[in-house]
Amino acid sequence: MMARPLLRWASFTSLHTSSRLPFVLLPRTLNPRAPSLAFSAAASNYLHLSDDQLMAQCDMDTYKASGPGGQHRNKRESAVRLSHRPTGIVAQAVEERSQHKNRAMALTRLRTLLALKVRKAIDLDGYAPPSELLQILPAKSTIRGKDVGPQIGPNNPKFALGMQALLDLIFAVEGSVSETAKILGYIVYGSFLLSTGALSRLILSDDSLRVTVNELRTSKGMRPLR
Amino acid sequence: MTLRFPFTVRSPLPPVFASSLHRCLSIPSPSSSSSPTPLPSSDRRPPLFLRPPTFAASRSDLHDFRRWAESLALAAGPRISASDGGPDAALLRREIAWLVEDATVAAASESGVGEELRLRVELEELYRLWRARIEERRPFQYIVGCEHWRDLVLVVKEGVLIPRPETEMVVDLVAEVEGFEKGLWADLGTGSGAIAVGIGRMLQEGGRVFATDLSPVALEVARLNVERYELKDKIELRRGSWFEPLRDVEGKLTGLVSNPPYIPSSHVPGLQAEVGQHEPKLALDGGEEGMDHLLHLCEGSASALKSGGFFAFETNGDEQSEFIADLMSIKFGNFFHNIKLIPDFAGIQRFVTGFRR
Repeated sequence: MMARPLLRWASFTSLHTSSRLPFVLLPRTLNPRAPSLAFSAAASNYLHLSDDQLMAQCDMDTYKASGPGGQHRNKRESAVRLSHRPTGIVAQAVEERSQHKNRAMALTRLRTLLALKVRKAIDLDGYAPPSELLQILPAKSTIRGKDVGPQIGPNNPKFALGMQALLDLIFAVEGSVSETAKILGYIVYGSFLLSTGALSRLILSDDSLRVTVNELRTSKGMRPLR
Repeated sequence: MTLRFPFTVRSPLPPVFASSLHRCLSIPSPSSSSSPTPLPSSDRRPPLFLRPPTFAASRSDLHDFRRWAESLALAAGPRISASDGGPDAALLRREIAWLVEDATVAAASESGVGEELRLRVELEELYRLWRARIEERRPFQYIVGCEHWRDLVLVVKEGVLIPRPETEMVVDLVAEVEGFEKGLWADLGTGSGAIAVGIGRMLQEGGRVFATDLSPVALEVARLNVERYELKDKIELRRGSWFEPLRDVEGKLTGLVSNPPYIPSSHVPGLQAEVGQHEPKLALDGGEEGMDHLLHLCEGSASALKSGGFFAFETNGDEQSEFIADLMSIKFGNFFHNIKLIPDFAGIQRFVTGFRR
């Protein structure tokens, strides 16, 4: 199902590098040559792109391009690396048993990385949380309202969108979780309906989200969430 | 998905016991001394992941196996990859994880409940299998009896070419053709049936794939894969050489795809051991220049395809692709147009495509 649109958009770059996969899989790799991602207003909507559209912005290659491949090899490495041209973010997948599945896995990882690394500046005065953010908030929180639907967890592909919006807000208040909870509660209903504890638990529920928030907090001299 | 396998479920007795039992029970005859009692052929058994989980092992037993297998991989990997470009230690370690994945019952390995694990193969045989992987360079896919290809899990065994990651793209190329869903397609030299199954799953009412192969073993495996994906009404398997079994649909085909043997004969002895020593020469050796079969396919395509029909051939890459593309656009230019070279994901010009005028 995936490959047809993926193929249509993939650009075929030949591999000039002899880079090999790390011995232990490092699923999240940042390109050191990547442009600065902080508060890039134009770059905020990648997660709204379809898989096809997102692939159109990527260069895809496989590893170990030496040798003739094809029938010559028992199994040419079926690992896949996607380089997202606008941001320089690189996502790869190696552990799946077919190239097709490694491609889908790399794209999922790219979405997570985009959510974690690409920030949108927020105007706190006119701020209203987008529905994607409300969807990942704890189920008991009354600010979610009836029309938001059941809570979306980290395993849901839509979680990345909510995580991105939450991080935008946390970055706008320079890492303060209590401030974030206050804004979310206050702006929507005019009172504090989202507790700091509940928001902390949400942040801690996803490893990559926790790491990103804690990196920010550490850089601002705050103690990390545990 | 229903699993219908013509395999007889293997005796729970280990092969050694089974054969010694057989020897005890059989009456010695003069001829039996000259030909050893054959062990139960691994060919007759279903792939690992489809066998019933009739064996058990403790978690620590399996842990010991992993450690042993990894030590073998770490010791042999560098030597293997340096000698003929075979798998390195990192790939071998991933294969161990996949072997364990296929040999155990997934729920048990994840839940962490209890000390006993259910296995689809005896623990000792797991050791034997991995030793064969390292010492005989037996391809991993023949050991587990399957290859993951696109989103499919295809049965493979000795005697059938293991489908390659590059070839996954042929299915995408077909999916680009307007109206492919209702067309008549042919996959020549289908092997495990990989391309045919990939296409067959996308077809709609009226669409059909004729998958041909010369090898009875290949057709047997292809039949398993067709049945496993419930495509008997979409894919028709026919035995014969290239166009030979397709005379009744001559000039009617919407499209023609093939991954024919394309390795130049002189390269065959130098292939990595997994390929050269274990995979069928019939599926690899393309003659002196490697293009014997490709040229035959080019010549036959004009009469096999209907007007507007599509072809996609996999080649040895770059030079072969260019030669075939030139042939189709210059010598056979009256018959074909829109000839393209398509690179694989490693950047090698791997496929030639075009249309019948």
